[in-house]
Amino acid sequence: MLEITSVSKNFGGLAAVSDVSFTVKEGEVVGLIGPNGAGKTTLLNLICGIYKPNSGSIRFEGTDITGMPSNKICKIGISRTYQIPQPFESMTALAGVLVGVLNGKKRAHMSLPDASLEASYYLEFVGLFSKRDTLARDLNLYELRMLELARALATTPKLLLLDEVMAGLNPSEASKALDMIWSAQDQFAITILWIEHVMKIIMNATQRVVVLHYGKKIAEGPPREVTSDPKIIEAYLGAKYAQH
Amino acid sequence: MVNFELRRDRIVARWRDKKTEWVIEPRYWRNSTIAITCLFILPLFLYGFPHILTMFTTANLYAAIAIPLALQLLGTGRVNFGPQLYLGVGGYTAALLNLHFGWNPAMTLMATILVCAAIALILSPTTWIAKGLYFSLITLILPLTFLDITYIWGDIFRGEVGLVGMSPLLAFKKVTWNYIAYYYLSLILMLLYLLVCDRTVRSRIGVSMAAVNENENVARMMGVRVDAYKVFFYVAPSILTGIVGWFIVHTFRTFAGVTYLPLEFMAKILIIVIIGGRAFLYGAIPGAYLISIVEDSLRRLGPVNYFVFPLILIALIVVLPRGEGLWGLYKKRRPRDYFPKLHVRRE
Repeated sequence: MLEITSVSKNFGGLAAVSDVSFTVKEGEVVGLIGPNGAGKTTLLNLICGIYKPNSGSIRFEGTDITGMPSNKICKIGISRTYQIPQPFESMTALAGVLVGVLNGKKRAHMSLPDASLEASYYLEFVGLFSKRDTLARDLNLYELRMLELARALATTPKLLLLDEVMAGLNPSEASKALDMIWSAQDQFAITILWIEHVMKIIMNATQRVVVLHYGKKIAEGPPREVTSDPKIIEAYLGAKYAQH
Repeated sequence: MVNFELRRDRIVARWRDKKTEWVIEPRYWRNSTIAITCLFILPLFLYGFPHILTMFTTANLYAAIAIPLALQLLGTGRVNFGPQLYLGVGGYTAALLNLHFGWNPAMTLMATILVCAAIALILSPTTWIAKGLYFSLITLILPLTFLDITYIWGDIFRGEVGLVGMSPLLAFKKVTWNYIAYYYLSLILMLLYLLVCDRTVRSRIGVSMAAVNENENVARMMGVRVDAYKVFFYVAPSILTGIVGWFIVHTFRTFAGVTYLPLEFMAKILIIVIIGGRAFLYGAIPGAYLISIVEDSLRRLGPVNYFVFPLILIALIVVLPRGEGLWGLYKKRRPRDYFPKLHVRRE
């Protein structure tokens, strides 16, 4: 579904992502892990067209999307959430999702009231229907993350890029969010590329992980195998721990 | 073929696979009907006071400039400090074509629209390259440059004295009738602008426009064609402002860049937007009426006027609720939002 072939991105002299290649198959949940500053978010930004790669190519369902503007990438079925929630602060929760419904995949016979009905469906799915008329700036962190998820789902993506959805959530909220993502994958048949720091969740939720370190891919495989790899332990915890 | 369907509370229009609904709920129309009726019957009482009618005509025109400006602020997410540039462009286009080539008002209107659209299109990439303060500074400079041009090519533009003697839109034998007619024309122009802008803000375009105003990058990631939106909402309000210039040319029959292009005029329009309520298009009307009444009643004070007028404006900005303005006083309980609440009923 998504093929990333030797993609590199430099910011001045700093190689944020260098020569990374991997693929994501349809229906998979792939984790993207790595220490802070490993280039995970940069890679996500490259996929969704915020940055243009210096070299390499990104293909989605056979079409080359390298350097395409974000709005076109959204239309062909890639959507994302943000590490730091970026809601439309002065808009109500429903209106925020409505933007996704109106501008995502083209829907026929949809007027504004119809679209708001559909938007309310996504809000209800993430459990925010009662907050539909609350301004986004008045929502708490968990609600904001769910609003982002609803907003991303409203554009009807085939591939959803999740950027640290669990960061800052307490354990009960995190498990609620995990259930939500699973049922979203179930209902909307989406493929997920998931950046996460919380290892426990990555171990349970993903079928495969890709590990980045200093912008390079150092490992790829099922989460159990990858986490026992001495190279990964070295990257996360230092050489001292890798020997034990 | 467009297919209309009338339902109990809405008109549904369908065209190919597109569908639009216009919700009509007469129970919400009371206050606006009262306000518009008041504006329409005003001349009956002011029949003998032509200067007051002229003042209100000016107020209508101020509002007709401020309403598209408010739309532009929302649609581009940037503060335009030079909306009067297009007033000048439109006015001079109409005036010069009318004086030198004898074009009638209908033809000059077409020319005004075309020239304003062309110039706005050429300048519209500023909305892509500049943000915040930089955009404001660029737009601030443009009308001042144009003002200088009217001085430099004084033989064409007559910078200081202005152009006079353009053909009028309507000419009655009785002078009072002319005042009344121009009041009504300006009122209709303003209400038309309000209707167009209001429909835009409440439509699906308005929703995406609000998203662009909030956060361009996120809006783009959600599929909004941000660049196209910004160009459209820079060009369309500019054309509307240009038409006001055309209207001034053919009603007051004089047009001088020195009246409309300097900073004072721009400040007046921006203050109307702020006092009226930044987030509401409707606020421009009470704002414009208030400003022109204050301006007109202070004029007889003489030179002191130049100190008192700004003081009153500062006082108004401080006293009125921040960002909500006069309209905020009217809609006290409602938080600032871009378009009315969308009520979704579960059935």
